Amino acid sequence: MEREINDSALSRYKKRMFVLVVVLALVSQLDFWEFIRHHPTGALAYLLAALPALPFIGIMATYGLYVAELRDELVRTVAKTSLLWSIVATLSVTTLWGFLEMLANAPHLQPLLVLPIFGIFLGIATALVNRRYE
Amino acid sequence: MKNRLRVLRAEREWSQADLAERLEVSRQSVNAIETGKFDPSLPLAFKLARLFETTIEGIFTDESQG
Repeated sequence: MEREINDSALSRYKKRMFVLVVVLALVSQLDFWEFIRHHPTGALAYLLAALPALPFIGIMATYGLYVAELRDELVRTVAKTSLLWSIVATLSVTTLWGFLEMLANAPHLQPLLVLPIFGIFLGIATALVNRRYE
Repeated sequence: MKNRLRVLRAEREWSQADLAERLEVSRQSVNAIETGKFDPSLPLAFKLARLFETTIEGIFTDESQG
């Protein structure tokens, strides 16, 4: 029973994630191949370069849907609180790093790394917030 | 927020898992509410009151009201 409460949301989340990861792999492969072979420029280059970002945006939307579909209010509270803490941590670290880059010549942080950094903070925050309610 | 959940549950000889099943929430939720670590939403508080055939005030005590 306890597992059933949130399992339907988790099951839908896993299915959506699987589809998005497959789409991401296909789009990235086709996109890189197009850039290597045809060297697109101008607006087309911008359009093609933006394509792999769409599945990533979908992955974030999927996580939001998962949180919204959670039936157990404690688990939903843990998820929402963890999201807030991880957003704060990611913004703090990237802002700090921005100043280090600008003033102290620290190595450039690729914006593409922000999502994995957020994912790491989300994992840590979820574990810590969960402990509060144990 | 203080509550009488543990007492009410014990009177009926229900485990936390039993209560969780009746409320359609996780056992973790019942435990967190019982220990005062998590305040339930109003709909869940009403559900608890109906289940124990009492009022919300019969289960929960507002600690700010001396």
